[in-house]
Parts: sequence; C-alpha cells; structure tokens
Amino acid sequence: MSFSTKEYFVRETYKSVRRNGFMSAACISTVAVSLLILGLFLLLSLNTNNLAQYLESQVQISVYMEDSCTADELKATEATLKKLPGVVKVTAISREEAKKRFEERLGDQKQLLNALGESNPFPASFDVQVDSPERIKELTPKIGELAKVETAKFGREVVEQLFSLSRIIRFGGLILVFFLAMGTLFIISNTIRLTVFARRKEVTIMKYVGATDWFIRWPFLLEGMTLGFLGAVVASFFLDSVYGAMLGRIHSTLAFLPMLPATPLLYYVTVFLLLIGVGIGALGSYISLRKFLRV
Amino acid sequence: MRNWLCSWRRDREKHERKNSEQIKRTLGVRRQPPGGKGSTTVLVMNNVSKVYGSNTALTDINVRIQPGEFVFVVGPSGAGKSTFIKLCFREVLPTSGSIFVNGCDVIKMEPKEIPFMRRQLGIIFQDYRLLPDRTVYENVAFAMEVIETPHRKIKRRVMNVLDLVGLRRRADSFPGELSGGEQQRIAIARAIVNDPLLVIADEPTGNLDPETSWDIMEIFKEINASGTTIVMATHDKEIVDGMGKRVLAIEKGRIVRDEQHGGYGYEL
Repeated sequence: MSFSTKEYFVRETYKSVRRNGFMSAACISTVAVSLLILGLFLLLSLNTNNLAQYLESQVQISVYMEDSCTADELKATEATLKKLPGVVKVTAISREEAKKRFEERLGDQKQLLNALGESNPFPASFDVQVDSPERIKELTPKIGELAKVETAKFGREVVEQLFSLSRIIRFGGLILVFFLAMGTLFIISNTIRLTVFARRKEVTIMKYVGATDWFIRWPFLLEGMTLGFLGAVVASFFLDSVYGAMLGRIHSTLAFLPMLPATPLLYYVTVFLLLIGVGIGALGSYISLRKFLRV
Repeated sequence: MRNWLCSWRRDREKHERKNSEQIKRTLGVRRQPPGGKGSTTVLVMNNVSKVYGSNTALTDINVRIQPGEFVFVVGPSGAGKSTFIKLCFREVLPTSGSIFVNGCDVIKMEPKEIPFMRRQLGIIFQDYRLLPDRTVYENVAFAMEVIETPHRKIKRRVMNVLDLVGLRRRADSFPGELSGGEQQRIAIARAIVNDPLLVIADEPTGNLDPETSWDIMEIFKEINASGTTIVMATHDKEIVDGMGKRVLAIEKGRIVRDEQHGGYGYEL
C-alpha cells in the first residue's frame, strides 16, 4: 500500500467522522460507557481476587480456648503449639487483652462495651504463625483436636467467600458487558451503515473506475475502528480518574484493605480497553459492510 | 486465530502479486500498436443473450470491436441499448454467451479481477455522476486516487485532461456551478484520466442541447483520434449522421444493422 493510499484512507476517515458529527459523538459515547463499565468490573474483580489472595497468604491460625481452662492449661497448650512442626511463632492473647483490643477497634463507640458490665465474653486465644500457607490446612484440624481448644480457624471462610464473590462479579460483569457489547456493535454498525449510505454515489464511481473491493472497504473499516478507539480513550480517561479517586478514599479510611496500585494495573487495563474498542469498531463496521456494501 | 491470520496474509500476498501482474499485463497490452498485428480485439460478444425475469433484453448478440474504432449503438427506447452497454463493463452478466474485453473473459473472471478489467475502461453516463461536494479537480483526481496512483503523477495528469476538455480554468469550481455541458466534460475527463483502452458512453449528450452536444462530440473525436476505442449509445440522429462512424442498430434485443459508415436510420 503506497503512502498516497494510506493518506487517502486517513483523510477519508477523518472527513467521514466529521461529516456524521452527531452520530459519531453518539457512537463514541456508547462505546465509552460500555467500556467504562467493562473496565470497572475488571478492576473490581481483579481487586477482590487480589484481596482473597492476600488473605490466603496470611499464614496465621487463630486458636480459641475454652472459657473454663486454667492458666496452667493455657501454658501447656502454648508449649504444645510451639512444638508442632512448621510453627514459627505463637502469640498468647489473654481474655483481658482480647477485650482491650476490641475496645481499641471500636474506637469512638467503645461505650457499647459498657453494656457487658463486668463480664468478659472474649475467650483466651493464640495467634499461631506458620511457615507456609500449605501447612495451615493440615495443622488447623490437628490443633482443633487438642484438649481445651474450642476452635482453630484460619481465614478460610473469608478467603473462599472472597473468591466466590470475585467469581460472581466476573460472571455478572461478563453478562453485562456482553449485552453492552452487543449494543455497541449495533450502534457502530448503524453508524457505518449511514456512512455507506451517504457515500453510495462515491462507492459506485469507485467501482466504475476500478477501485478494488478492499480499497473501497478500508475507509469504512477505519472509521469504525476510530470510533471504537476514541470511545476507549474516553473510557480509559474516566476509569483512571475514578480509580485514582477511589484509591485515595480507601487509603484514608480503610488503609488495611490491600488495593492494587494504579500503576501498572491501569496501563494494562487501558491497553485492554483500547484493543477491545478497536476490535468492536472493526467488527461493527465489518458487519455493516457485509450487509450494505455490495462491492 | 493464528491459522486464520496466516491464511489471511497468504491471501493478501497472493492478491498483491496478482495486482502487480494485472498491472503489468495491462501495460503490456497498452504498448501494442492500435490496430497493429497481434493487438487484441477490444470487445467481443459471442451469442450473448440477456433475460430479466420474463423480459428478454438481448438475443443472440455477436459483435467484434477492433482497437481504434468509434461505434454508435442506436435503437428505440427499450431496444436493449442500455443492457448492451452494461454488459460491456460487467454491470450485469449475460444469461448466455461469452464476452471478452481486451481478451479477458468477463464472465469467467474472478470477482477480484473485475476492478482491474474496469481500469481499462472509461465509463460515461447521461447524468454525469459527479460528486457534488468535490471540486472539478478532485472529481477527476478521484478516479486516479482510488486505483492507487502515486500523488506526484496525479496532478500533472489531471491538469492535462482538464486541458483536453477545456476546463482547466474551472478546476476549483464545484460541479453545481457548471453548466450541463461542462459537467459532462468533467465526466469525460474522469473517464479518460486513467488512459483507458475503451470508452463506454451511455447517451452522453442525452441531457444537452445540440450545440453543446457537438462540443462534446469534438472531445470524443479527439479521444478517438489518439487511438482510444469508443462505444456510444445514443438517440441523437444528427450526431450519428454527422459523424459517419460505425453504427450498430438494436431493435427488440437483436442487432438489425451493423454498418461501417452508417447513419441513424430512424425517422424521428
């Protein structure tokens, strides 16, 4: 393809996008909204997954003791725990300490605890650090069977729930994005159909003077791809600002939540959205060309 | 995906190879002297018939047109002139028979080859078919752009043909600002800008007054004199009689007359 030809395609595409100004704008916005939603779901799903993985990697078992156990029994249990293979560190938390920690977590609302009076419902417990996540699965039931141990837990339920939440988000997002993509395809192919219609005279003349089919198709295909690309640019822009703002908020209030940092995540997401945008644009115009451009 | 990409690329390479071969073939043919030994008959129709539904448009047409000829196709309305013209550039396919344009079998040709066949033709219509939002220059240059002619060649060539049709000074006007005769001259310029072997004109003077029609015919004469073959369907008795060229008369879908220096032959 010669330089003149490429220049011709670019010129034609530009002209066409401008000529159908309103329709092009509508098209770009639709693509942008669809891709923005796709991007949001993507970020949400990635972050949930990340959170689940983070929790999974926390190699710690919480061992709650029965209320009835004595100080000697506690010491004995601590010694047993320390001897278990793979155990790195055992931290004992007395009932009073547990209450105090809870008070701290309640912060401003610690007067709620006053309702309990003098009674302390918190059990004594041990935080058992293990050398690897794999070890947790075999150790937890073993510890649970020790004398005077009420329950031994690691964050399994939470992790599994997070993983399933991430699956739901991904699945729901996929369905939503599928329908949005259909809508976007329709809008793009409709726009291209209008362009083809507006330029049918040119197309006829091109055929008469011997333009090849692909020469006739390219500007239309490029137009669809441009619309998709511009939509993706708008979507990425909004996504970047939304995620940036969200990160700021979360860091100031829920600092313990492990969020994925904006870079390089947003680069990948942006590239992904651009590819999807261009792809949808090309597909949309191709559908239209097959239907309406008999070359 | 990968397979698909590969086959796509293969197709494309094949296409590009064919493209350059086609162009070479076209150029090769162009170098042969018009009318000289070994030059291809420009248009051949063998036993061509065309039926639209239950309407028979053409029956058993046999024509040979040699390089450099000027041929009028005459006949009453609905006789099949337009169908004849459309068959020449493969706008329609015949129901039976065979057609060769410059030695290429128009019917058996692959769809991909059609554009390259059409590059050897210049087509002119009664209603000009210019693009109203482009200038005179752009309208003519368009025909060169779309067959991927390099920029540097376009400008000079377009100006030359605009000179030939006497519209160089109107290069920046839009078709709407010009008279019918001038618009048709642009259409002619567009048809000949790619240096076709055969110019096909369907009633090019149909919308013009007699004086303007003669101006147009002068241009056609000039084009013909440079060796380009011309096939023109027309209703214009005065022109056909005045030119004294070969006349094909079609009536009810059949060729009823084929004279080397004929007249219109119908009373109006």
